[in-house]
Amino acid sequence: MIFFSAYLAADTAKAAAPGAGSSGPVGDIIHLFGSFGVDKAHLSVQVVNFALLAFILYRFAIKPALGQLEDRIRQAEQLQKDRAAAEAQLASAQKTAEAQLIAASGEAARILADARNQAKAAVEAARTEAQAAQTEVIAKARAAIEADRVKMMDEVRGEVSRLVVETAAKVLEQNLDDATRGRLNEAAVKQFAR
Amino acid sequence: MYAAAVRAEAKRLLALSLEGGVVSADQVGAVLAALAKSRPAHQLRPLLRAYLANIRRELARGEARIEHAGPLAPADADAIAAHLTKVLARPVRPVARRNDALLGGFRVRVGDDVTDLTASLRLANLAKVLS
Repeated sequence: MIFFSAYLAADTAKAAAPGAGSSGPVGDIIHLFGSFGVDKAHLSVQVVNFALLAFILYRFAIKPALGQLEDRIRQAEQLQKDRAAAEAQLASAQKTAEAQLIAASGEAARILADARNQAKAAVEAARTEAQAAQTEVIAKARAAIEADRVKMMDEVRGEVSRLVVETAAKVLEQNLDDATRGRLNEAAVKQFAR
Repeated sequence: MYAAAVRAEAKRLLALSLEGGVVSADQVGAVLAALAKSRPAHQLRPLLRAYLANIRRELARGEARIEHAGPLAPADADAIAAHLTKVLARPVRPVARRNDALLGGFRVRVGDDVTDLTASLRLANLAKVLS
């Protein structure tokens, strides 16, 4: 806006003094700057000063600051990367831990189920064995009792028979007379000779 | 081997002692006389012992040893001997002996064969059946 006002002022001054200096737009611009007090020597010195100042600032202030900034940025990026890697590693470790936990839980459940099954089978086997042993013991006891009973009955029967026969023999021996024995002998001879 | 030879010799002497299938006292005497002359004493003892056993066995084969309870008529004893003679196809003579422990009936033995028709045996069998 200021530059445009200065340009309009220069254009007015040129209109007031026609034919002065060089002509054309470049000459107008130089004339315009000259009207503001800007000449070539001062401008050159200021350009050099500005360049020198810019160089010194860039060399000793901006460049180290930019380097530090880049370092910070690099460190921040590295930290970001490390953090991401750590987070990824943590996530992986968590996944691995969860997987191992799940696997361990499954394994524990399987082992527990196996142990329960084995215990159940062992209890069942022990029960079956105990029942078999009990049955065998009962059978043996019954057999022994039956054998004892049969033996006792046989003994009683034998004893009774022996007593009966002995008694019968004594009764016969006392009551049989010769006549009866003779008849028995005759019957036996007839049976034998038949 | 010596015992077998003695048994064979005794068997041969027994065959020489029979007359009509029956032991003859005369034949036995002749055999003994011949043995006394022909054999020394130390050889004679075992041979005579085997010969005596054979003679006893042969005599037992010709005897029906009848044990009976109560009286047994001689005719009944003869009937028993006759039946055995017929069955065994050799002469058998009865030798009766009373034994009242048999209660009734008789038991006859010829050699190793025994026939028991006594009441005591029947009672014993009854006791076995009952026991």
